[in-house]
Amino acid sequence: MSDGNNSPPPEPSERSEPSEPADALAAVVALRRLADQLEDSAVEQAMRSGWTWPQVSEALGVTRQAVHKKHAKRLIAAGVKLRRRGDERV
Amino acid sequence: MSAFDKYLHAVIVRAMDEAQDDGSATIDAHHLLLSLAADEGSTAQQVLASAGLDRDTVREALDREFEHSLSVVGVSAATYDLPGPSRAAQQPKLGASARLALDRSFATARKKDLRSTHVLLGILQADIGTVPRALALAGIDQAELTDRVRQLLNGQDQDRDQA
Repeated sequence: MSDGNNSPPPEPSERSEPSEPADALAAVVALRRLADQLEDSAVEQAMRSGWTWPQVSEALGVTRQAVHKKHAKRLIAAGVKLRRRGDERV
Repeated sequence: MSAFDKYLHAVIVRAMDEAQDDGSATIDAHHLLLSLAADEGSTAQQVLASAGLDRDTVREALDREFEHSLSVVGVSAATYDLPGPSRAAQQPKLGASARLALDRSFATARKKDLRSTHVLLGILQADIGTVPRALALAGIDQAELTDRVRQLLNGQDQDRDQA
């Protein structure tokens, strides 16, 4: 019969581990926001340095239509010179 | 357009501006709170100011909440040094948390009796989400603040009934 002393006490949870659903869910919200900001910034940087929509969409693993729909208006409004299909990279 | 409709429109336009600055595709409840806190002279703004909350302190609290929530999963936004993206060209749309806050506001009074404080009450009635987390991190007693807004609204109702 076990007297209960054989099993170690549960390890205290790691500080970096979400302890409560509220923290974990809030982390999801914050990560989405960070990812959105990072995407806006990274796509803009790529297009400013001459990447094409097909290249950016392939890098992001989404369709060209999706990346165009999400970013084209913003980049045009920001005056970014966008490469057209058929422009050859030099 | 009633005075409240004009007020609410202005609140949403300012909230939209905050959302765009955030690079957010949606206007969220915390953008409404920033907007209320920036509206000098309204009763809602005065209540927030009496709790030590102006537009910039709300912004700081939200930034802290963002950093804190990321840190829970071991991520730091400070390590990310790409230049800030250009502002979105598309107007952010009203998001789920803002809709919920406004629905709660509208449920607290008849349409013709709605005031800035009802909008604030709708935002403060959320128990879960970015706003309560940010207020808690800023050391604000949300329940106490909500009670203060309710008392103020009861006072306004009495004034009206006597008038």
